[in-house]
Amino acid sequence: MRSARGVVLLFCAMPFAAACRDTPRAKAAELSSIASARRQEMSRRLAAADAAHNTVVPVAEWIMPPQLREISGLALTSRGSVLAHDDNAGRVYEIDPKTGILLKGFSLIGNQKEDFEAIAIAGTDIYLMASDGKLFRFREGTDGQQVQFLVFDPGLKKQCEFESLAYEADSARLLMACKRPLDKQLRELRIYRLPLPLNRATMTVQRIPIGDVIGSNQWKDFRPSDMTIDPTTKNYVILASHEKGIAVLTPDGEVVRSVPLPGDHRQPEGVAITRDGILIVSDEANVTPAAITLYRWYP
Amino acid sequence: MPVLRKVIDVITMKSDRPMRRLAAYYAILALIVATLTFFFPHEIARIAAKGLGDVPEGPTVLTDALSSSPTASVSFGPGSLFDVTVTTILILIGALALMLPVTWVYMSARPSGGQHNQNVVQTLIILPLVVAGIVFIVQNSLALAFSLAGVVGAVRFRTTMRDARDLVYIFLSIVVGFAAGVQSLAVGAVISIVFNLVLIVTWHYDYGRNMLMPTAAAQWSRPLQALASPTGDHQIPDRDLVLSLTPEKAEALAERFNRVRKTVGRKNKPRFDSVLTVIADDVPEAQRRVEQVLERMTKRWMLDEVVTHTGKPCEIYYLTRLRKKVPRDVVLTAVHENANGVITSADLESGAPVEEIKGNGSKG
Repeated sequence: MRSARGVVLLFCAMPFAAACRDTPRAKAAELSSIASARRQEMSRRLAAADAAHNTVVPVAEWIMPPQLREISGLALTSRGSVLAHDDNAGRVYEIDPKTGILLKGFSLIGNQKEDFEAIAIAGTDIYLMASDGKLFRFREGTDGQQVQFLVFDPGLKKQCEFESLAYEADSARLLMACKRPLDKQLRELRIYRLPLPLNRATMTVQRIPIGDVIGSNQWKDFRPSDMTIDPTTKNYVILASHEKGIAVLTPDGEVVRSVPLPGDHRQPEGVAITRDGILIVSDEANVTPAAITLYRWYP
Repeated sequence: MPVLRKVIDVITMKSDRPMRRLAAYYAILALIVATLTFFFPHEIARIAAKGLGDVPEGPTVLTDALSSSPTASVSFGPGSLFDVTVTTILILIGALALMLPVTWVYMSARPSGGQHNQNVVQTLIILPLVVAGIVFIVQNSLALAFSLAGVVGAVRFRTTMRDARDLVYIFLSIVVGFAAGVQSLAVGAVISIVFNLVLIVTWHYDYGRNMLMPTAAAQWSRPLQALASPTGDHQIPDRDLVLSLTPEKAEALAERFNRVRKTVGRKNKPRFDSVLTVIADDVPEAQRRVEQVLERMTKRWMLDEVVTHTGKPCEIYYLTRLRKKVPRDVVLTAVHENANGVITSADLESGAPVEEIKGNGSKG
């Protein structure tokens, strides 16, 4: 009888316990306070980085949660946040790079499993690219939502392995840099250009001798892991994971510079540049945890 | 626990049938989960199906690797100390709640005469809690998983199971522990329910019984046949078999033989020559109807044993001495007719000498 009374009391206490939980408003206030503190800290670090112009040091390094252990591509949104995605599953997360807050996550309907390598935003459309060049087009979703998608296959599976995707707004075309041509005799960096709307017939290829890209560096090759467009100069900024380097090319294919990546990166897989000059590099978990690192970017 | 038992008693109207009691338990569990989900939807969602995919978690503050300030280490939402504590408690309670009915099934659904192993019962309760704890710590960390393999490898965990079926229960407890550890208790619940259901059904219908294996009645008739043998040439049981008996088994056997000795008496002629086995749900009514027939058609009879099962029909054994003029089939037909559906089945196994049966056969 006594235990029955205890059970009844427990059930009666449940609504009160539920009422004691953090309300969404309290959570939002706490989040806002943290974001505000971090923005101030970020401003201070950027100012310090600007003062020491010659030494490139990271201004922030955000450790990724377990669901982004295999973070791959990055794409900058119009709001200043970045979209990141997991390598194996069609899940996309929005991160505010200046406050280190993971804002939301959504996925392709049916939890698509592919070797996703890069992401790009073209207006209201988002493109996820698989390593065989297949493109998954969808719209941005809300937190926890599963979104519909369309698949476009440019038919490049037998020519290249891809890990890089960027959207060139000025010419309204997607750019796909070939990581590894399946014909190993070719010593060139190939960038496939796909005008929107997507159509195989309108696809063109830009070829740059690999020697020009390597320049004076000690690299044996240059295998792009991701690419982005510098918002100031509109140049192509291409990241190579194996070489741990960055190459900057004009849209005409002229190599502006190719330099080693600043900092210590185990497996850099994604790159993005904000409008206010911050270079963001994402690293997959490899001995060290997955992270995105921010540097001051000087075009 | 007494409260839970009382509630189950009320719901099942004090039925002893395991299926009803299990259904009642799962209904109560579903009600509790539904109530908790109403008040704590996020917490329950986190432990029920987190491992399965996309559970929206809201904004998360990432750790700043460059700073050691308090702001950098603040973890917002899932992952705070309180949340981890609550999640751990919930998954452990969940694993326990799912394993309780499995232990009941394990203790109840034994082959007739089989004893359950108390150690296994306690292992079934404790193992999933340990596994859940391990998986909860290890998940998403390959380094931790390897470390754990090293630690576990140092601890020898080898126990020979008497019954291979016990292993299946142990595997189930590991599965439920895993489900709880990866915060997918919904999967664990489904596995637990289906597992219990399948086990109860297979046990109830004695699924997979070898038709060539002797029934309980046949086991009785064999010694009777030997006792009724006109030559009196009784075989001595295998010496090794006798030596392999435990004292408890030898005691039980001795008790059985004493009973047989009392039954057959001290005369040269056996008092009984056959065993009537009746399977029925309603034992008193079945007894009344069967005994009417036995009284009328046999020379003498005696109620030997009533074996009751929970959730299964009972077995009633009679020792009988048939009249020479009344064949076995006539007795059986009369039993069935008089039972009028009260009994499930009846079988009469005769211990009469083989030659006599042959002789009857050639006459027919």
